[in-house]
Amino acid sequence: MTVKVEVVEGGVPHSKVMIVGLILTIVCIYLTYLNVLTKTELFSFFGGLAAVAALTWGSSTIKVLCSYGIGTGVPSAGMVSFGSGVIAMLFATKFGILSPIVAVVLAAVIGAILGYVANRVIAMKIPVMVKSLTELAMVGSLTLMGFTALITGSFNFSALIAPNTVLTITSAGLTATTSYLTSYIGGALIATVFLLGAIAVQHPFNACLGPNWTQDRMLMLAVECGFISMIVASLMSMPFVRIDAAIISLIVSIIGWYYTYAKYFELSKRDAAAWLDLSPIPEQEGH
Amino acid sequence: MSAIAGPKSSLSVEYNAVAIIVSLIILVLIIAATFMLGIPMALSALIGIIVGGVLIGFGVHFVPVGGAPAAMGQAPGIATGVAMLAGGAGLAGLFGGAWAASQGLVVATVTGAIGGGLMMAITCFFVNVIYVFGMGVPAASGKVKKDPITGDTQPEFKSQGTEGHGLPFVSFVGGVIGGIFGGGGGTLVYMMLLGLYTATLPKLMGSQSVANSVAILPIAVSLAGVFAIGIFLVNAVLAAYNITGTIEGPHDPKFKRFPRDIIASAVASGLCGFVAILIATSIGM
Amino acid sequence: MENIVLGIGITALAGALAAVAGAAEDTESNIGSQGDPNSQVQLAPQMGYIHRIFNKAVAGEPPAYGLWCALGAGLTWAFLAMQLNAVLAIVLGCAITIFVQGVYATTAYLGRTASLAKFGQPVYIDILKSMTSVTMAHAFVAVFCTVTICYLMNSALGHPFPLPILGFIWGIALGAAGSATGNPYYGKERQYQNQKFGAGVPIAASGNIVRYAEAGVRNSLDNGWFTAKLGGAASGLCFGFIVFLELWRTVLFEKVGAGWGAIVVGILIILVFMVVDRFIEVWARKTYGPYTKPEEA
Repeated sequence: MTVKVEVVEGGVPHSKVMIVGLILTIVCIYLTYLNVLTKTELFSFFGGLAAVAALTWGSSTIKVLCSYGIGTGVPSAGMVSFGSGVIAMLFATKFGILSPIVAVVLAAVIGAILGYVANRVIAMKIPVMVKSLTELAMVGSLTLMGFTALITGSFNFSALIAPNTVLTITSAGLTATTSYLTSYIGGALIATVFLLGAIAVQHPFNACLGPNWTQDRMLMLAVECGFISMIVASLMSMPFVRIDAAIISLIVSIIGWYYTYAKYFELSKRDAAAWLDLSPIPEQEGH
Repeated sequence: MSAIAGPKSSLSVEYNAVAIIVSLIILVLIIAATFMLGIPMALSALIGIIVGGVLIGFGVHFVPVGGAPAAMGQAPGIATGVAMLAGGAGLAGLFGGAWAASQGLVVATVTGAIGGGLMMAITCFFVNVIYVFGMGVPAASGKVKKDPITGDTQPEFKSQGTEGHGLPFVSFVGGVIGGIFGGGGGTLVYMMLLGLYTATLPKLMGSQSVANSVAILPIAVSLAGVFAIGIFLVNAVLAAYNITGTIEGPHDPKFKRFPRDIIASAVASGLCGFVAILIATSIGM
Repeated sequence: MENIVLGIGITALAGALAAVAGAAEDTESNIGSQGDPNSQVQLAPQMGYIHRIFNKAVAGEPPAYGLWCALGAGLTWAFLAMQLNAVLAIVLGCAITIFVQGVYATTAYLGRTASLAKFGQPVYIDILKSMTSVTMAHAFVAVFCTVTICYLMNSALGHPFPLPILGFIWGIALGAAGSATGNPYYGKERQYQNQKFGAGVPIAASGNIVRYAEAGVRNSLDNGWFTAKLGGAASGLCFGFIVFLELWRTVLFEKVGAGWGAIVVGILIILVFMVVDRFIEVWARKTYGPYTKPEEA
């Protein structure tokens, strides 16, 4: 992208966004554990909120990283983030209640080593490379875990591969078949969630870069991207969780999305040079 | 990526000896840890994943990508992002390779490689069709005086004020080779993980019967597929960082940077592969 | 035998769908100025050329289409798991995906344009109203065709990958093929129509994109109309060939020589493309001639 990225200071410092994002994400993921405690699936929507928090944090990290000009497009950072995050997250789901913590630690280790080889062996020499890739791997794994909890109602490996019972109408009448093909991993819905997160984490900065970048507008867009992803994730949760749980997730996400989308329009209107409808190109001096 | 002046590539490649040694130590530690797991196949699977990852990273260096300037006919190469173009070719190869998985490792990997090469051949062909018949410009390289394969001279076919345009034959061949490496590497990673998971997952899930191991196959396929894609993307992006986004093909001076990426790719795929192998163990649960 | 005949039929159908998908993808991305030509739309205001071109940079085309197709496939998969009819599931899945695409497109335009306030580039609300729906329509065609191909591969041809992974793979391949083929035509021939034909855009002219049309101000629909004639068709053929030949060599020659048949045929196809490409390259060198005298060594 051609725009010269300028480091704009001001607003909330990145470290604060990071800490708040990390804490919110972990807390929200653990709140989905209420599903197990209360033996319902109604609390799945907290997984989506966790993903929203993680994506917001991630977009701030991408801003820090990509301000240095990494030589290739902003989206590549999202791909690394989720490429390493998906592996950490799926292994971490085997640790039951400890899963979110294991995911954070493991992703941090993978991200740090990736950052080290990128910065030193490939000689990119970006001061924040190690820290940013560490954060991005954590964001990737936590976002995936959040959406996984939203869709399946759990962050347990055995639940992710648990076969669903499918009723099919055949000539012999209604038959019930169970197949691993209809499980979350067997159906590879995680591939869709992978890209949902990878685009959502890079989009806020990619869309808002430019000389008049403002932090509140970018973060608002990050929350919006999180909620729009949550809307489709709640739709995809319908085969896995009870319909009332899916509908709660859907309503929460639609409300969140609508609010942030409207807010983002306002902020864009505030920042834009002019807000015109059906008007020609303004006359400029010298052209 | 600047349309006006990209970062000039220096001819000498910079190596950081300390970092390389540290990386190699990490790699050896990962291999040793895999060996300690004591699962048959784990070590060979890890070696296969590392080889596959290195092939992917190496292949990206062949893919001629010009980025934004190429879209204006200002620089030679294909006008898109290098990581994702290699991704498109490599994943198309993975598609073919996964389809041939039942025919054994060698056939599947070669099928995947040819699938990637086929995708790149068709894409590069249409890129040249657009340049020649849509924009009326012949192919011209900006980095070399003569095409190393055909011996065609290049500078006099560059239009004024540009660094060259289109895909000279050496770039075309580079693209196909890149696709072949990417597709083959991606398929190799997939086949290694698939073999490991089909062998270990039924036991892990507490079912030894043949019927169950067949039923579990979708899980193994999906896990291996998603991880192969993840490892592919990590390696492709690292390679894209290594060439700072654009490269003309194997004749480009930036191509000489590939040893750095081979080390980086080996560590990255070794690390990701190790965690992916851990899933097949009884750790956790 | 019947199996092979069915396979060939599916292959032909998938190839045709892929051609439509490629053409729609390229037209959509050109109307939205997505992909690499976006850099010029972004650069123009900084050079003092205020324009009325739709500027929606969601990501490069491959990752963006990777998401649209994977999302379409994922939603389709979910609806299929809920026992919906396949056609209905695909249409519904793609329609919801396109809603997401539209939202991303509007936020990208607003974000990029608002961040250019320093150079006086205004936000045109009518662009959002009139262009977003057109890109959504084209994206729907592209995503619907691709998800249908994936569904056919999975259910009719028996590919082991589940629908979402196939959507992921072919979405990225679609974006890669469409951007590689279509970008130069839009970037050079349309954005820089004021420059000489038969030459690349001189680097000094960067940012000076054409902003006025035959009558009034050029808008992005004009760009889609222009590029659909060659860039779109070529992108469609490109992706169509990729899908068709990949399936064709597998369906027909998979069983020959224990899998090696498909490999040999693949190599032959690569060689054919290589030879024709070389022929075109030589033809262009002869026809367009050297621009300057050869340097004496």
